[in-house]
Amino acid sequence: MLSFWAAGAQTGRYGVDLRGMPVTELASPGTHAVVLFFAASDCPISNRYLPEMARLQGEFGNRGVEFWQVYPNPGDTASVVRQHNAQFGDSARIVLDTQQSLVRMAHVTVTPEAAIFIPDGSSLREVYHGRVDDRYLAFGSERPRAQHHDLEDAIAAALKNQPVPQPGGPPVGCAIVTLQP
Amino acid sequence: MNVKRMTGAGALGLLALFVTVRVTNRHVRAADAPVTYTQQVAPILYKNCTTCHHPGGAGPFSLMTYADARRWAPQILQVTQSRFMPPWLPEPGYGDFADDRRLSDSDLALIRQWITTGMAQGDLADAPAPPHYDATWQLGPPDLILKVARPYTLVAYGTDVFRNFILPYPLKQTHYVRALEIRPGTPQIVHHANLLIDRTASFRHSHPNDWQDGVAGMELEVDAGSTFDPDSHFLFWKPDTPVLTEPEGMPWRLDPGNDLILNMHLKPSGKPETMDAEIGLYFTDRPPDKHPMLLQLEGDEALDIPAGARNFVVQDEMKLPVDVDVLGIYPHAHYLGKDLQGYAILPSGQKKWLIWIRNWDIDRQSVYRYRKPVFLPRGSVLHMRYTYDNSTDNIHNPNDPPIRVKAGNRSVDEMSHLWVQVLPVNQPPNGPDPRFLLEQTWMEHKLSKDPRDVIALFNLAGAYMAQGDYQQAIATYQREEAVLPNDPRALTALGVAYEKAGDVQRARESYEKAIDLSGEQIDARFNLGRLELNHDDAAQAETQFRAILAQQPDDAGAHSGLGLALLKEQEPEAAQAEFARSLALNPEDPSALDGSAQLAIASGQPAHAVDLLESAIKQDGKDAETREHLAMGYAQLGRFGDAAAQLKAAATLTPADPTVHALLSQVLTTTGQLNEAILEQQKALHLDENDADGWNNLGVLEARAGKTSEAREDFEHALRLAPNHAEARANLARLQAKAANP
Repeated sequence: MLSFWAAGAQTGRYGVDLRGMPVTELASPGTHAVVLFFAASDCPISNRYLPEMARLQGEFGNRGVEFWQVYPNPGDTASVVRQHNAQFGDSARIVLDTQQSLVRMAHVTVTPEAAIFIPDGSSLREVYHGRVDDRYLAFGSERPRAQHHDLEDAIAAALKNQPVPQPGGPPVGCAIVTLQP
Repeated sequence: MNVKRMTGAGALGLLALFVTVRVTNRHVRAADAPVTYTQQVAPILYKNCTTCHHPGGAGPFSLMTYADARRWAPQILQVTQSRFMPPWLPEPGYGDFADDRRLSDSDLALIRQWITTGMAQGDLADAPAPPHYDATWQLGPPDLILKVARPYTLVAYGTDVFRNFILPYPLKQTHYVRALEIRPGTPQIVHHANLLIDRTASFRHSHPNDWQDGVAGMELEVDAGSTFDPDSHFLFWKPDTPVLTEPEGMPWRLDPGNDLILNMHLKPSGKPETMDAEIGLYFTDRPPDKHPMLLQLEGDEALDIPAGARNFVVQDEMKLPVDVDVLGIYPHAHYLGKDLQGYAILPSGQKKWLIWIRNWDIDRQSVYRYRKPVFLPRGSVLHMRYTYDNSTDNIHNPNDPPIRVKAGNRSVDEMSHLWVQVLPVNQPPNGPDPRFLLEQTWMEHKLSKDPRDVIALFNLAGAYMAQGDYQQAIATYQREEAVLPNDPRALTALGVAYEKAGDVQRARESYEKAIDLSGEQIDARFNLGRLELNHDDAAQAETQFRAILAQQPDDAGAHSGLGLALLKEQEPEAAQAEFARSLALNPEDPSALDGSAQLAIASGQPAHAVDLLESAIKQDGKDAETREHLAMGYAQLGRFGDAAAQLKAAATLTPADPTVHALLSQVLTTTGQLNEAILEQQKALHLDENDADGWNNLGVLEARAGKTSEAREDFEHALRLAPNHAEARANLARLQAKAANP
């Protein structure tokens, strides 16, 4: 049966996990916020942000924030991501966005890019999408370390039910590959 | 139609035109023809991108196939149009570089059009053959592979890491390196690497306990040793230059005891990366016949950049004392550097650009080699003008908020260096090495900025030494001593200067003082041992060499020095054992070869002696004494022509040594070249007119040549110097008898 799911004949509302099982819920009961981190196994900037995402998960993971690592590119199959995971030790739960429904839902364009959703009844309300921080301003324009941690500030504000600050600049990274018709 | 009137020649002309059109067809498209991957884009990628962007290459992803190019098309568009890729900092038109990687405007337009019009693949038959990259050594198996002592694991995240890996050169012989390949192990995380030669293994000795793990640090200084041996080559690795091949006639040298230091700039990738760098060296038997030198302009002392300063300028300039060809250039600053300029003002007043980088980026630093050497005549002034931005506008600023920044080795400090590789040209064939003058000029320039710069004083004195100006060298070492008293190394060098200037007593005192200050001053002991040997105090020499060996049992030079001392002390068997030990450690130790040869001559084995001495001369052709010994070996074998050639070479090396001329006179006598023999003996006596034997020998030669009156005067001269000289008296009597009974 697993191979049936893995074949992608049926995907969940939000894609599938590494076993090919559909992901139908992003927020378990009691979740205050959902963070999606859009990643690509072959994107160097995306990979460089994985330790930062692990840090944020350590910071907020036990405070009602659910973290997902989303792979939206068609080349990032379950076996590719599994291999990548073995190397990089992804800390968040993984979802393969095979139909790019999460890309559309989060309004993201590149990896790495993040989005924050607040559970609102049975739906999810997006309160943030954009860069993780300001380390990269453009290709070749990189700070030694970030000065503004946009995503972290946004999560913190969301948890306090305060207005969520928006990113101070565009995300920099690898364009998400468009699905072929 | 013209076809009917076409001649054979005309047909060929048309064919040629046709072929030309075919070749250029790929670039000359009809305006409405689509740009395709196979026809236009693949050639651009293969030429400019895939050297790094291939599986296993330094690039983070491959661009070898059409699918790859489609996958990365948005990034390709973005980074090529912004000129972030391919990495290339110099402004076009300000230096013509061999490895210029700047994409042409037409290539940029083709890429843009291909991506914005749907990324057509085109006909596969039109696709060029993809370049081949493999994981083996590019030039075949190296002659020597050096590996880091231990693999190094780079952390997954954080700021860039600068680390120095020490690779000791394990061989016991000197080798000349014509090419080198650095394989960093994990090329994706290496921005660039500089390979330094540590002639004295000083960096390793200063990190005795942890050097195997690599030593943190952005910059490092190594001790170049006490002899004039300037850096000469840029040994620089960046991802697209896996093999560094030196120009013909310009290999670089590795001696026993040298270390190579791989100074690496590493970028965390998001996961821990284990790297296991190795270096492949390719040797050549031919020593260099061209000797380039690295010069440095710098403004480190002037670096004191206020927080917030946007346009802080540092300049330096240096006038060239000789004609040079500039072969390469290496600008270097840290994260605050913004606009880096290097140029020369010629004696005519003309400004010649060497390089201009408008947007400095330390991550993309490189050595730049000129397509053709840039000639600068003597009197040209090299200039550097660097501008720094220490404001928040500079996103590379490592300090948040900005702070006052000075020169230093950490990444939060700054630097202001412009290295220039020059090759002196238009020099007289037998003139002094022009690098001495370059070194002198460079060090004097440094001292004009800081008169207390002890390294510059030491090097300046070394340049004087190399030029034979021993008095200036002594004065300069004394200046250094005034700034830094009781420095054993300076005292050792001062001892050499005194010795060369003929002041044996002061030389001895300097060496002894150096030894008193630091018992580990091996050079001082070695020099003192040599001095005592040369002045026939073999017992004292033996003491010094034995003291060295107590500290360093494997010092080949000390073993051979001890052997020479024992030889003088009439202990040939013990001497032979020391020479054998020395040659086991270094088969090319010239003193051991020479000493063994002396023993071979003494024991009637001139052929063996000649073998040893020929080998010694291959190592050091400038040792006149070795050539004298070789001449003796040849003479014993009856090879008088070869003996004369060696002695003539020795006479060129030490024209003021009367012994060489006297020996040459003897050999020329044997070969019947009487007039030349007389001339050489006269030269010997001109240099040492108190040599009674010499006057007697000259008399014999002149008598043979029929110059009776000259011969008589010579014998009388000998007898005035040594009234009991029996041979001169007998010869004079014989001459007088012959005159009485012709």
